[in-house]
Amino acid sequence: MQAGRVSRLTVFGFLGPAVLSLALIGIVPLVFAIYTSLHKYQLTNLRRTPFLGLENYQTVLSDPSFWDAMQRTMTLLVIVLPLQLMIGMGIALLLHRPGLGFLKTLTRLSLVVPMATTYAVVGLLGQITFNLKYGVVNQLIGFLGFDPVNWLGDPTNAFITIAFWDVWQWTPFCALVLLAGLTTVPGEIEEAARLETKKWWTILRHVQLPFLIPGLTAILILRTADTLKLFDMVFTLTRGGPGSSTELISLLIQRVGFRVFDQGLASAQAIILLIITILLSQLYIRLIYREVEQ
Amino acid sequence: MRMKSAVRGLALGAAASLSLSAGQAFGWSLEEAAKPYAGTTVDVVFLLRPGYEAAEEMLPEFEAATGIKVNIIKHPYENALGEQVRDFVAGGDLDIALIDLVWIGNFAENEWIVPLEKFTSNPDLADPELDIDDFFPLVLNAFGAWNDTVYGLPFDNYSGLMFYNSCMLKEAGFDGPPKTWTELKDVYGPALTKDGKYAFALQSKRNETQSADSFARVLWPFGGSFLDKDFKSNLLSEESQAGLKFRQELMQYMPEGIVAYDHAETVNALAQGDVAMITEWSAFYSTLTSPETSKLGDCFGVAPEPMGPAGRKPALGGFSLAVASQADEDEQAAAYLFIQWVTSKANAKRYLDMGGVPARQSVYKLPGVAEQYQFVDALVESWQDGVPEFRPRFAEWPEITEIVQEWGTKIMLGDVTTEEGAAELGKRMEAVLEEAGYYAGEKPLAQ
Repeated sequence: MQAGRVSRLTVFGFLGPAVLSLALIGIVPLVFAIYTSLHKYQLTNLRRTPFLGLENYQTVLSDPSFWDAMQRTMTLLVIVLPLQLMIGMGIALLLHRPGLGFLKTLTRLSLVVPMATTYAVVGLLGQITFNLKYGVVNQLIGFLGFDPVNWLGDPTNAFITIAFWDVWQWTPFCALVLLAGLTTVPGEIEEAARLETKKWWTILRHVQLPFLIPGLTAILILRTADTLKLFDMVFTLTRGGPGSSTELISLLIQRVGFRVFDQGLASAQAIILLIITILLSQLYIRLIYREVEQ
Repeated sequence: MRMKSAVRGLALGAAASLSLSAGQAFGWSLEEAAKPYAGTTVDVVFLLRPGYEAAEEMLPEFEAATGIKVNIIKHPYENALGEQVRDFVAGGDLDIALIDLVWIGNFAENEWIVPLEKFTSNPDLADPELDIDDFFPLVLNAFGAWNDTVYGLPFDNYSGLMFYNSCMLKEAGFDGPPKTWTELKDVYGPALTKDGKYAFALQSKRNETQSADSFARVLWPFGGSFLDKDFKSNLLSEESQAGLKFRQELMQYMPEGIVAYDHAETVNALAQGDVAMITEWSAFYSTLTSPETSKLGDCFGVAPEPMGPAGRKPALGGFSLAVASQADEDEQAAAYLFIQWVTSKANAKRYLDMGGVPARQSVYKLPGVAEQYQFVDALVESWQDGVPEFRPRFAEWPEITEIVQEWGTKIMLGDVTTEEGAAELGKRMEAVLEEAGYYAGEKPLAQ
């Protein structure tokens, strides 16, 4: 064996367990989901699981409930993602400014709290916060002399509530990632730019933004994937209601899979969602990096 | 009729086995019966409700007498079906099935539960005092039996009752609660809805509450039903439509956002004096009478649900306990002994005193019970005027209830008219039943 070269056995020894675990945890369930999506797989009647081919996919694609849920999910995404990015960027720029060391440390620490809180707990907190009669939000509104708002009982308000709550939970994540990106901008370049212009936008656009691209790409991909599969918070907060007003695609899949027990149909829905997520991620990477290359 | 004869047959079977082994029977004791199973652990799902807390409190006595350990796994109602289905499909650990009346067709047809006769015909296990005829026939039939076979014994038993704030009613000039739904809407509704207070709240959240507590509640008293005798949708019938339209009209006397109200919000609204009347499960009696959870005090009142043109037809719900077929023989025997003990006539009064609602007729005839528990008269009356198929109990209900929940809520929100909603709901419901094989004659039209 040549010096410096590692034997194949060692490579397998180190990588094998990780690859095997990944296969067991990630690949096997995926393959099983594909299998069930091609069968009639009703959990309460497993004596009959005939092969259906693509019938489940056909049912999903022609089901208005699926497209309604997809539309709601996409609407949520296009509302919350820009808000999280803009507010997150604002917070990051504020924290990037020199001075106020202790306050900034305190702010950074408190930013971690919402995103470190379990989704389900965030939903339960929302129930208390937005309760019509006893909620904190309506109490505050009452102090200002306004009538209470029915946050969770009105379809439009309920959707606004989950969007607001998602922004509250995940803006800190964007802020911290962007702040990390800002710290990678060489100090002398930034200083030179500040001597050239006082316009923060110009500095952001031409000096800081190129350093933020990897972080932005990560945020776009992660937040898109997270929003597309957002479940726990909404489930504990509104359970998809009132009516179907907050039934996102993940709630629909859960309902079909674990309440109607039609695992075949739910698997087909999940596979379609996976394909959409992958396509969107690829789109982000291509668009953003093409922008950078230009 | 067939059900009655099945129950009678079971009772006779139990009596016959008793007489065949009279010596053993007279000497039967729980301790002796449980001896071979001492050290056995049985797993059961319990809900987070008063009746289960009562049973849990009683449990140490059973464990001390038998040496059988009962391992309780607690779930909220919404998770209980999914957890049990997954356990039974995977051949898991559950030895006792907790069965909501609408799950029994599903559990029985999948053979996840064992017919009770296997145990009642075993003189070593069957308590001579079992007295199966002592259960309210409607309750035993609806909660524990499927297709003329008894599987489970009624454990956590509910009927819909009207709970009300007598002080609010008095202030508005009423001596008592409304006798009919129409009276509630036309007379009590306008008089009691003012100054931020509402006459009535009907829990209608989009889960089983929408199907059972809201949608079905207005169908039956108006003469409607989910299905006709041929298992086709009956939701567009004049009677069903009358019920659904009534609900829409009644909503003006309910709090805003009633479609987001589950049991907790509804009971709390009455308990805190925000609404004057609710129709809720009997199980919430203890919540509404406890000073820790209710401000009502002496203002608390309870009555049977109002009557509709077709009669009272109150909401019917509840749970039985049955032995799981996946358990081994010892676990099955131990599980049966627990079920028999916890639902027994001897324990019924204690269960009642601790916050449970037994389905034993005898306990409600005991001196002082009716005086002590205001709900007794209303409950007994309700259990004599109910419909077992208040919600169809066949295996397809989990699919159908999801459709009812979605379209029932859409109707309430005004997204669709009652006719449009009922037509769509009926179409989807029939598609499920068609696929299940009811129309092709593959399955009996049993609900």
